[in-house]
Amino acid sequence: MKHAETEARSAGQAPPDVPQVDVTLNVNGTLHRLRLDARVTLLDALRDHLGLTGAQKGCDQGACGACTVMVDGKRVVSCLALAAQYEGREITTVESLSVDGELHPMQAAFARHDAFQCGYCTPGQIMSAVCLIAEGRANSEEDIREFMSGNICRCGAYPNIRAAIREVTTEG
Amino acid sequence: MTTLEAGTIVGAGLDRVDAPLKVTGAAQYPNDFSFPGMAHAALVGSTIAAGRMRGIDVTDALAAPGVLTVITHLTAPKLERGPMTLLGGSPPAPLQDDRVLHYGQHIAIVVAESSEQARHAARLVRVEYEATEAVLDVDDPRAEIVENPWGLDTERGDVNAGFAQSDVVVEGTYTTPDNTNNPLGLMTTIASWHGDALTVHDSTQWPHNVRTSLATIFKVPESGIRVLAPFVGGGFGAGLRVWSHVILTVLAAREVKRPVKLVLTRPEMFTSVGHRPNSVQQIKIGSTRDGDLVAIEHHGISSVAMEDDDYEPVSVGSAVSYACPNVLTVDRQARLNIPCPGSMRAPAEGQGSFALESAIDEVAYAVGMDPLEIRLRNYAEENPVLGLPWSSKALRECYLEGAERFGWSRRTPEPGSMRDGRWLVGYGLAGVSYPFYQVPCQARASVRRDGSAYVRSAATDIGTGTYTVMTQLAAELLGLDVTQVRFDLGDSDMPYSPQAGGSGLTGALANAVHAACRRLVQEFLDVVRDDTESPLRAAALDDVAVTDGRIHRITDPEQGESYVDILARHGLEELSADGRSTPPRSEELGMAIAGAFGAKFVEVRIDPDLGLLRVARVVSAIDGGRILNEKTATSQIVGGTVGGISQAMFEETATDQGTGRIANATFGDYLMPVNADVPDMDTLFVGGPDRATAVGTKGVGEIGLVGLAAAIGNAVFHATGRRIRSLPITIDQLML
Amino acid sequence: MHPFEYARATDADQAVAVVSADPHASFLAGGTTQLDLMKDGVLHPERLIDITRLPLGGITHTDSAIQVGALTTMEELAADPVVRERLPFVREALLFGASTQLRNMATIGGNLLQRARCRYFRDPTVGACNKRNPGSGCAAITGIQRMHAILGTSDHCIALHASDVAVPLAALDAIVHIQGPDGARPIPLTQFYLPPGDTPHIENVLRHGELITAVEIPLLGEGTRSHYLKVRDRVSYEFALTSAGVALAIEDGLIQEARVALGGVGTIPWRAWGAEDVLEGARAGADVFRTAAEAALDGARPLPGTAFKVELAKRTLVRTLETVAGALS
Repeated sequence: MKHAETEARSAGQAPPDVPQVDVTLNVNGTLHRLRLDARVTLLDALRDHLGLTGAQKGCDQGACGACTVMVDGKRVVSCLALAAQYEGREITTVESLSVDGELHPMQAAFARHDAFQCGYCTPGQIMSAVCLIAEGRANSEEDIREFMSGNICRCGAYPNIRAAIREVTTEG
Repeated sequence: MTTLEAGTIVGAGLDRVDAPLKVTGAAQYPNDFSFPGMAHAALVGSTIAAGRMRGIDVTDALAAPGVLTVITHLTAPKLERGPMTLLGGSPPAPLQDDRVLHYGQHIAIVVAESSEQARHAARLVRVEYEATEAVLDVDDPRAEIVENPWGLDTERGDVNAGFAQSDVVVEGTYTTPDNTNNPLGLMTTIASWHGDALTVHDSTQWPHNVRTSLATIFKVPESGIRVLAPFVGGGFGAGLRVWSHVILTVLAAREVKRPVKLVLTRPEMFTSVGHRPNSVQQIKIGSTRDGDLVAIEHHGISSVAMEDDDYEPVSVGSAVSYACPNVLTVDRQARLNIPCPGSMRAPAEGQGSFALESAIDEVAYAVGMDPLEIRLRNYAEENPVLGLPWSSKALRECYLEGAERFGWSRRTPEPGSMRDGRWLVGYGLAGVSYPFYQVPCQARASVRRDGSAYVRSAATDIGTGTYTVMTQLAAELLGLDVTQVRFDLGDSDMPYSPQAGGSGLTGALANAVHAACRRLVQEFLDVVRDDTESPLRAAALDDVAVTDGRIHRITDPEQGESYVDILARHGLEELSADGRSTPPRSEELGMAIAGAFGAKFVEVRIDPDLGLLRVARVVSAIDGGRILNEKTATSQIVGGTVGGISQAMFEETATDQGTGRIANATFGDYLMPVNADVPDMDTLFVGGPDRATAVGTKGVGEIGLVGLAAAIGNAVFHATGRRIRSLPITIDQLML
Repeated sequence: MHPFEYARATDADQAVAVVSADPHASFLAGGTTQLDLMKDGVLHPERLIDITRLPLGGITHTDSAIQVGALTTMEELAADPVVRERLPFVREALLFGASTQLRNMATIGGNLLQRARCRYFRDPTVGACNKRNPGSGCAAITGIQRMHAILGTSDHCIALHASDVAVPLAALDAIVHIQGPDGARPIPLTQFYLPPGDTPHIENVLRHGELITAVEIPLLGEGTRSHYLKVRDRVSYEFALTSAGVALAIEDGLIQEARVALGGVGTIPWRAWGAEDVLEGARAGADVFRTAAEAALDGARPLPGTAFKVELAKRTLVRTLETVAGALS
């Protein structure tokens, strides 16, 4: 595991009169030591303090799934998670899926099936889809529909998202 | 006009060129940007709908940790209202007085070191209101009524005489609720001033409008303003105007002399960036007993904000949809204390088609005719308002091929006659159009020494596929492989582009790219006009074609040379050319310029005990003119259809009486379809390139949505015998 | 969010002591309710005690019950093989709730303590909310009513308890184990929640600083069948308009045991004792199911916006009873 000492950036760093937390986050296999306003969510820590802007903020209320990341192999909505709570947990974001420019099979399938339009929900959809397969819930059409329903796509790419998942399931 | 010829690149279902960025999370939306020293803003919204602020106390907010400034109407400078635009007036400038005109009106902006601090401090701003009684309903007698707001009311023949002659007259009041655009991307503005110059990242569908408006509002030269929107997290109309939050962010950045970022919250997205206004529509249709339409009368009233405007002529589509001798369409608006409405995917037609296409279905049942048959019987062969032939219209093919694909002939006419176990089964259809819309547009194309092309325009790709289809089109026109062409957009420093909206951008931009690419080939010919070494010497544009990066004579393909060779021999790094498109005019062409047409076929399942409604199948047959990319165009139709399902079954922005507060301004409470609500769909494109423009597209952004609600409502009637005239169609309306 | 101090608890007794002693302190578990309400400005603790590292997870089994650690997530509980075999309606209710992402975060203890979904409660700019500001009134009663309760309401509050899993747990007489500063105590779930009455701000019997440590769920008998039906506008990912959790044991057509509870209609998870009285000893059939449904909705106080829920809830219950009885016949 890499040990990168990423200091919190000046933007968003709170002055000392707001309670701070020291937190070390393990994101995509790299440890990041941060001093944060205790209020910073895992999503905002990733986006604003670590520069990982793949996970998106669509509602900030845990209702849209655009901020979906993996924690210890399970998908969660990072907007309803305090960064401080996730110290020591293994956090995986969309940025880790492709290796050396080679797309993950789910990413490639999303591209082939045009499983997005504006693309804003896409990192969350893809993280959910990858977890869906690991959960064993990608084997029936009914399961895919039900267990992908926590990710809203306002552009309405749902049929194409299912087609992408089906393809990965069949081939994988 | 040189018409685009059928090629091999245009039309093909190429994967989106921006797909790798989007699937890896690398595409940068406005809220993905950060700058050194950037401060964060949060808004304060009014909690009453009408009245004035007696006082606003910012002491605690200013004292809160990290707060840099709080701007209210007491401290804001005078700001000009933005200019008139293609879409009407600009929204009122914020913080100009103590009046409150709607709930959620921005009454202060707080700037702090972090977003957490800004949001917290915004809650500490205390306002003392003097509330007056708000006008919130279109039928409130106190509401000011704007008659014929756009001068689009139509009348032909004599509807009263028509009804008198009719064997059957159906009449009904149809209502549609407020809907909120809710693109998934929280709209974001980041503003940085450098002296009089200004850079703005914004979730806009129209960078040039942001530039022009900010120049007017802040009285600075337009040339110093740069607006960037390379990726936008959807829009559906919410990014068409320069809303108050954009202005406030720019103001805040000027005040604190630092870059300032504002990300709207989801609840703020319900009150800050427009919405589809509700409508009440009276529609009356007379027919002979043979199903010949004799008269259509359609009155629509929509809500609009107190000191703003919005384009929603809901009834006007009824004037052009059918060959009917007597038609009257009338639109009105009621001024209310509501956040300003704005266009939302398929504005006007989205509401009007629900009334018209439901009412046509009612006529079909009243005269005992198949709903498909009555539509074919009253088919408008020419534009009934202009009396001109259409520039293209394949709606008949949409009906026939769609019906075939759907299996419409399996439908048994009697309501309630089709079942699948416990479920009642219903078939419904609607036939619709979305009017042609195009405004001037510009593009610039360059070919470089390495043989690659760079084409750009200040357009946006809000998920519509603009990056991809323009890459394909330019590759086709320049005789290059798509991998040699880069199309760029989303930067107001590029040539002028109109908004991504009204299904108008693809046509406007494609024709500008077409002109630029043609002009660029001409530039190459100009370079070699007197070049004795060139086999293209003295060739005219019409004499040549381009293939594999090489211009050659049509009559003798051996006679030609590559872009690279021409540039090299003449010591040029690149050649560039500008192109512009202007909208065609019906009067000049002698034909009625057509928008897209479509026929929608829907199968629903209803559990009559529990009132459950499920859309089982949708077939959309679409005449969209030339399709530039089958894959992305299909996605537009599928996405529009999901929007239509959503309008039909889920969406309703609920407003509290008295305060005008939006009562369901979250994603947990404002329902939109999830994956499990949406069936697989069948989309087919019929017809061919439209005759009115060189490229021949008609735009497919809205047509997918139009008429879906009527088709679902008609299917519900077929399943249950119950006519639902109020959207959304919900469980409580369907428990039989 | 109001600024707060964050601390990670390493010991349950200490966590209970800290929160009990500080009226401005709160526990933080899965966070899906707590953080949401803090962002909305409804809750503003000054100190958050993160209990997620406490050893309160895990599921232990006996012949007649399972003991579920309070920090067990909804997904973990749904995946438990004994829940799958012996408590199918608990599993259904868990999986019909929220989304997979939220179920991976939300704990069973937190689920039981979830706060009302009422938008008038969740928006501090609304002045009148007796739950938030005792004595201030109830804006929901004259507001948009569709998602509110019709059973257990009062003139002071109509907010719904929206938990799905609490419905079958109420039917099963699950027991909530609580640890407080003075020790541990068990409380039956059916006595855990308090209807709003004239004190809507008091939602359950927990005292400030008391912690749910476990939930004990009795298993259904071998021959007993169960089902949870959730009726909502969307197919998935939405709170219930109405729901029913039913377990029946039927022998020779006679109902030996009936456990019935309703969701989407009550200010608390609604145990339908009256329906059980109708069902037990009766012969399973359409008439008795309808009679049971009428009894279940006895005392409903609908408002214009919730009027449809009375009949919908009855039909939901009838359908659930039919489904369970059908599976048994």
